[in-house]
Amino acid sequence: MKTHAHLSIGAIFLSLALVSCEDKISPTLENAAPILAVDAWINNKPGKQVVVLSQTQGYFDATNPPGITGALVTIINNSGKVYSFVEDPLSVGNYVWMPAANEVFGPVGQSYTLAIQLNGESFRASSRMGRVPAIDSISFETEKRIGSLDSITRAAFWATDPVGSGDTYWIRSFKNGVPLSKPQEINIAYDGGFSAGGVADGVVFITPIRRRINAVDKDANGKQLSPIAIGDSINVQIHSVTLAAFDYLNQVSIQTNRPGGFQELFSTPLANVSTNVTNTNINGSKAIGFFNVSAVSTAGKRYKK
Amino acid sequence: MLRLIYGVALVFFAYSAFAQEKFTINGYIKDASNGEALIGATVFIKEIKNGVTTNEYGFYSITLPAGTYSVNYSYIGFQSISNVVVLNKNNQMSIELVDENEQLQEVVVKGEIEQANVQNAEMSTNKLEMKTILKIPTLFGEADVLRSIQLLPGVSTVGEGASGFNVRGGSVGQNLILLDEAPVYNSSHLFGFFSVFNPDAVKDIKLYKGAIPSRYGGRLASILDVRMKEGNSKKLEVTGGIGSVFSRLAVEGPLIKDRASFIVAVRRSYIDVLARPFVQLLKDGGALNFYDLTMKANYNINRKNRVYLSGYFGRDNFKFDKNQGFNWGNSTSSFRWNHLFNERLFSNLTFVYSKYDYALQFGRDDRNSFSWNSSISNFIVKPQFTYFINSNNELNFGGDVTYYTFEPANAVGVTNGKSVNLSIDRKYNLESALHIGNSQAISENFSIEYGLRWSYFQFLGPGTIYSYNDTIPGIRKSVNKEKTYTGGQTIATYNNFEPRFSFKAQINEASSVKGSYNRMAQYLHLISNTTASNPLDVWNPSSNNVKPQMADQFTLGYFKDVGEEKKYEVSLEGYLRYTQNQLDYIDGADLLINRYLEGDLLSGQGRAYGIEAYFQKKTGRLTGWVSYTLGRSELKVNGINKNEWYETRYNQTHNLKIAGFYDINKRWSMSGNFVFTSGTPTTFPTSRYVQQGILIPYNANESRNNVHLPSYHRLDISFRLEGKTMKNGKARKNSDYWVFSLYNVYARKNPFSIYFSQNDQRLPAGQPLQSQATQLSIIGTIVPSVSYNFKF
Repeated sequence: MKTHAHLSIGAIFLSLALVSCEDKISPTLENAAPILAVDAWINNKPGKQVVVLSQTQGYFDATNPPGITGALVTIINNSGKVYSFVEDPLSVGNYVWMPAANEVFGPVGQSYTLAIQLNGESFRASSRMGRVPAIDSISFETEKRIGSLDSITRAAFWATDPVGSGDTYWIRSFKNGVPLSKPQEINIAYDGGFSAGGVADGVVFITPIRRRINAVDKDANGKQLSPIAIGDSINVQIHSVTLAAFDYLNQVSIQTNRPGGFQELFSTPLANVSTNVTNTNINGSKAIGFFNVSAVSTAGKRYKK
Repeated sequence: MLRLIYGVALVFFAYSAFAQEKFTINGYIKDASNGEALIGATVFIKEIKNGVTTNEYGFYSITLPAGTYSVNYSYIGFQSISNVVVLNKNNQMSIELVDENEQLQEVVVKGEIEQANVQNAEMSTNKLEMKTILKIPTLFGEADVLRSIQLLPGVSTVGEGASGFNVRGGSVGQNLILLDEAPVYNSSHLFGFFSVFNPDAVKDIKLYKGAIPSRYGGRLASILDVRMKEGNSKKLEVTGGIGSVFSRLAVEGPLIKDRASFIVAVRRSYIDVLARPFVQLLKDGGALNFYDLTMKANYNINRKNRVYLSGYFGRDNFKFDKNQGFNWGNSTSSFRWNHLFNERLFSNLTFVYSKYDYALQFGRDDRNSFSWNSSISNFIVKPQFTYFINSNNELNFGGDVTYYTFEPANAVGVTNGKSVNLSIDRKYNLESALHIGNSQAISENFSIEYGLRWSYFQFLGPGTIYSYNDTIPGIRKSVNKEKTYTGGQTIATYNNFEPRFSFKAQINEASSVKGSYNRMAQYLHLISNTTASNPLDVWNPSSNNVKPQMADQFTLGYFKDVGEEKKYEVSLEGYLRYTQNQLDYIDGADLLINRYLEGDLLSGQGRAYGIEAYFQKKTGRLTGWVSYTLGRSELKVNGINKNEWYETRYNQTHNLKIAGFYDINKRWSMSGNFVFTSGTPTTFPTSRYVQQGILIPYNANESRNNVHLPSYHRLDISFRLEGKTMKNGKARKNSDYWVFSLYNVYARKNPFSIYFSQNDQRLPAGQPLQSQATQLSIIGTIVPSVSYNFKF
């Protein structure tokens, strides 16, 4: 909720902004031993599914996360069907499941358990595929930019949350085929609204969620770029996620979306996000990350004059 | 309950009838220049080496055996008056004291130094004179009540941009702020840069950090009692100022000379007006301003009855464009009736209405929008009585009843003209209290104050309540049951006995030892998990899930006057406070527009302790003080920091403040203050990992507040130039002065926060994500300013 409501508050502290300042710093951090990080977001789209296993790095370690080899990765559904993930020799740490023809994860309602065997330890996580509404359409709207002569074009998707409360979604979008995965682009919904307490069951997704499928990019002067230009395409996917995954993504959004400036007044202090990966041995080594199996609905559109 | 109080009052009427051979001197002490009542002025009887102080309305009463007494009336900054009274009947002696800077021949001037802190039984209280506040250099040159009290021992803030203040390791929401007895739920304009109190309309402020009298309750850490001026009852007076951020204007004067007066004071900021030609956003209907209006009138009906009506209305307004924006504000009004039942029984009956609300509006048009507002409002009835039994006993008793209405969120989203109501049910509560307390002089050198407060809190229908499943602490609790109540039903109740006790032992004329114990209960909780408190924080009442917060505080202090003429005052005070049912939040808590908010709350215990050292020079061309606090404030909450004690966000180990005032010559004076505080705690990550292309920080040690920000220090200086007092050889009717101030003289970039994020660049697939740490300084430069102030 925070991230939505406070979106533009920071932008307007004109006079105060003159006296504030931000500096990049390099504080010394405590050392920590690496642990297993699991990145397992599986969906029912045709094609290969990937689970990524890596080690945590020092916070300022600016390299790709070291992949973990030699693990045994399987997903089992509640009917006992086993999906075996095979290590990808070309990309270290990636474990891939290649479907047979027309084979996908699902159907909706199916439960799954992820099992990882690594160095004699055994990790588990579970998920359930929830339902997802179809996307009716994608629209574009152009408006004059506040405080400037040029205009700004945004996309919005239109879909209606099915009746029955407790559906949770991650709405992911792609601009010209590139996934929009900046922290400020995380777009999650509880029914058609922000949160369980918000009561927005069975409605068209509310405005801030509909619009939050746009790229957030700035030019060299910090000026916001129009998310859509003529010829751009936008592809929107609604992924059903479990409640635990919704909470997880909400925490990720709070912890990673730090635009700085006066919005820091509304930021919460740093805290660890949750995980659903557990070691079967309670005294064994820890793991973090998330496993979720989604049903996906998709729509795309190109912006033409 | 009222009936009970009047019952108690009657008992004392009866009692007073037996004290035949004693007589009472009573009356009001006022400022001779404008008729304002002086709060806390001393009436000292030489023969018994004892005395009383005036109450919040300037009233005093002292009852003595028949005889001849020499009575001394004094107040800081005013010339004392001594009278010889032959006491053979009840005497009304209302006194007007003259400012020591003004020379009036007919008054006997006695250069006695106030020894308030050493001889007064109170401890852990601070009083700041408005005269002093007006001299303290501040941001943008504007005198400010709340920023001034932050220079006192035991008071701190997490930094510029934080609303409110912290007292002795307590949270912002643990302070009760009263404006003419009306609670103020958010004391800040512009995110804490200014407070809601207009210095032109404020008469007196007093901060209780410990030894809190039984008539106050409802918050754990402190009570800030702000009293507004009554308005000049002698002549019409206009004061005002033009500054770089806002302008002020106050008009006060008699309605009926010496019997009724009024004051109206307004302020409005105009940054946006000045910036409008240059900033497109403002041209397009954007706004950035605040204003407030403070009003008061009083009428002295007769010697036994006086009524007061006060009001405050203020609002901060931020607009992104014509249709979108954010605003918040307080409004308070109070009606008070002072009544003298007899020469020794003073009463005050107060009615209060107070409200705090904020509203946000997003969306381009009516068909697609999102609007959201929230409020807390209350009605209070508060009868209070003071019975001046004799020169050794002063009994206070009374009660209060507060009816609260909470609107946690009224939120409506409109999509293509179809609206979705996301609002959360209102909550209704009733908080009542009965209190009694006596200050008693046991001997010439030993006095005690003791009291008891009984508070009772009811969570009332109509409303739907939720109960939650128990889970691993730190994880969101899921709802297991909901139950709906109708109006008139009681959902949950709590009650607490809150004992209060303090003593003063006079070692000799110049030194004393004081100690206290008090228990406080707090039924309202300020819900905030942001780095600093901000205007969106909501108040949440105690409920079936949330228990009232409790605190037990112990203090011990040593007070001494030193130097010739006792011009220096030194004090050392230690405090220790244990608290129960302290709120904290699960990681990722959703505090706004969430009907299941209470499932995200955690509860634990707290402890705060420290030592406050204070040194003040009270007279001479150079005056000022040095205040140093060594303190610690910690919480222990299951589900946070591996269930071990951790420092609160506002913990400060060292807190040093120096304030100095120097008169250069008749027209020029300068003042400066220096602040040094330890950096407040914060949490740094140790590690990182990637999830679906997003870089996530991780603290492998699962610690909370494991590091400290760099320390905060700042020097501010201001110069004041008094306008000429003579014009063409004649005395000017008007007075004026200029204030030139420099805030953050050596331009230190004091950190507000350090945050960790991934670089904003959109990287090609396969490129490693870049992490970064950023230090934010809200004020990163020197801020010069000028203001012009006048009075006529």
